[in-house]
Amino acid sequence: MAALEINGLSKAFGGVIALGGVDLSIPDDRITGIVGPNGSGKTTLFNVITGVYPPTGGSITWHGEDISGRAPHQIARKGLVRTFQQAMSFPGLSVKENIQIALERGSRQLRGQAPRWHTPEDLLDFVGLGGRGGDDAGSMPFGNLRRLGVAVALAANPVLLLLDEPAAGLSDGEANMLADLIMKLPEMGIGVCLIDHHMTFMTALCQRLIVLDFGTKIADGTTQSVLTDPKVMEVYLGGEL
Amino acid sequence: MTMEFLNLKVPMALGGAHGKAPAGSTEGAGNRGRRIEQIALAVALIAIVAALPSLNIGYRFLSIAITTGYTAIALYGLGLQFGQAGIMSVGHAAMLGVGAYTAAMLSNHLGVGFWAALPASIVFAAIAGGLVGLPSLRVSGQHYIIITFCCCALLVICLTNGGKLTGAATGLDVGSIPRVFGINFDKLFNYYYLVLAALVITLGLVYAIVNSSYGRTLRSIRENEQLARAIGINVDLHKIGVFMASGAFAGLAGILQVYYLRHISPTLYGAFPSLYLALMVMLGGGRLIYGPLIGAIIVNFLPEVMDLNPVDSRIAYGVALLVVILLLPGGVSSGLLAIYRWICGRLFGRVSKAGS
Ligand SMILES: Nc1ncnc2c1ncn2[C@@H]1O[C@H](COP(=O)(O)OP(=O)(O)OP(=O)(O)O)[C@@H](O)[C@H]1O
Ligand SMILES: [Mg+2]
Repeated sequence: MAALEINGLSKAFGGVIALGGVDLSIPDDRITGIVGPNGSGKTTLFNVITGVYPPTGGSITWHGEDISGRAPHQIARKGLVRTFQQAMSFPGLSVKENIQIALERGSRQLRGQAPRWHTPEDLLDFVGLGGRGGDDAGSMPFGNLRRLGVAVALAANPVLLLLDEPAAGLSDGEANMLADLIMKLPEMGIGVCLIDHHMTFMTALCQRLIVLDFGTKIADGTTQSVLTDPKVMEVYLGGEL
Repeated sequence: MTMEFLNLKVPMALGGAHGKAPAGSTEGAGNRGRRIEQIALAVALIAIVAALPSLNIGYRFLSIAITTGYTAIALYGLGLQFGQAGIMSVGHAAMLGVGAYTAAMLSNHLGVGFWAALPASIVFAAIAGGLVGLPSLRVSGQHYIIITFCCCALLVICLTNGGKLTGAATGLDVGSIPRVFGINFDKLFNYYYLVLAALVITLGLVYAIVNSSYGRTLRSIRENEQLARAIGINVDLHKIGVFMASGAFAGLAGILQVYYLRHISPTLYGAFPSLYLALMVMLGGGRLIYGPLIGAIIVNFLPEVMDLNPVDSRIAYGVALLVVILLLPGGVSSGLLAIYRWICGRLFGRVSKAGS
């Protein structure tokens, strides 16, 4: 059984069925990719997993424990930490204080491990923001803001990191740097579940891809098999792939 | 107006901008330097304020100073709530009211004096703060501000209709504070020192909170609640926590107020006093450690210094508030800090030039 088991998960917003009974298992020792056209329910999936919305139906099991309906902070403390599609930070505070807040929180959920980063500076170096600690988080260039978002999530000590379009809006160079960073996470004991539209970025990072369309899973398998799946080709009209 | 305030970007807090520097980092020395600078400033200020009565400044001045002191204590609570956690209240006088009426009712009905009533006032006001804070978990922004206003109005109605228990519209009287070590608190300057001691303790506590990891947690809630939740921060719990802390300081202010005035009535805790508290925090600035104190000093001393009648002074406050909103969104304190930093920069610039 994988770390995160999702069974028959559904979520409706009034008449809009954002998720229509999704079954997924996501391990916490590698990188799993989720793709799908706009509005296919990817972000909603993250929102429901992390407790932002209660599911309309189905179950979410994390390491054998049912976590559906838990509050977001409780889920985060169990090691399921997400980033946001709209890059987010604590804008009025310094970059260092942003990290410090998350590190102080994360250090209370060490789960018997030694802390990976002892100081905000360590983590800033890791994400390539070394020396930027004194900057105001609210007035950073977009690429740095994305990296800060990842750093804040990492500081909260995730077991499985859920990244919602971390490469959106980045230049190719910035996306490559981010890919290198994400690639290092599994060997540090952090699983990754990644949403993105950027296919070269996804194929470089993920051995496994899950494809959502209209709130249902239409493909799930090795990246190669998924990319050649006729159903997937049809959804993307051959265009984006 | 308050809503705009909640969204304005304000320079980094004097206390909040720098946390614990890791041992051995280059920032450590600068940080320690700043901390020493702050402590020196605080000691100097306290020394000046403590020396004031010996300058024969007169009873009128002393009474205004006492009012300023206990008001500032309440403002520090509101400053935590507004400046750190980002939640404004325009019903904060109600928290003072709970503290003051707790003390007055204990004195009138159970014969409990100042010292025994002190913890009770603080605890009851903290509980009231937590209760008024509960709706903030459901509604936010200007909607919550209106709720605080309603809570304040509700308290006034309860106090006015409380019969013998609250003294109804007439209010309640209290006696004097019993002597401790032979100090007679009926003497105005002794009362002044009592309030000063409470204010210094408040300042110390608030400084510690602002610079602790708890203070950072509150600021994270102010800046981005959704992200705070996503990294495991229990936003609701901390909101109620800061409302209780805010209420506790107001409770302390309330008991100091009632034993100073010796008589209280419901109008002291209604809409107008509440708006004044909000005004003072915004004028002074809620995020900087001296902001609330500066706000209290301006609002309490300005009419006296400029010899304004109550109507003119209200107009003056309105104008002052507009000017501050437009020119100094962080309050007067952030403006003063900018000037201070500028002067320091000039001085240090000269020093280093002279050295080289
Ligand atoms: N809070 C909400 N209220 C109402 N409808 C919502 C809400 N959140 C999402 N939806 C709807 O659910 C559907 C799925 O949206 P979602 O954001 O999950 O898509 P997505 O796959 O992340 O798309 P994108 O690639 O554009 O980010 C959309 O039709 C969207 O309009
Ligand atoms: Mg999305």
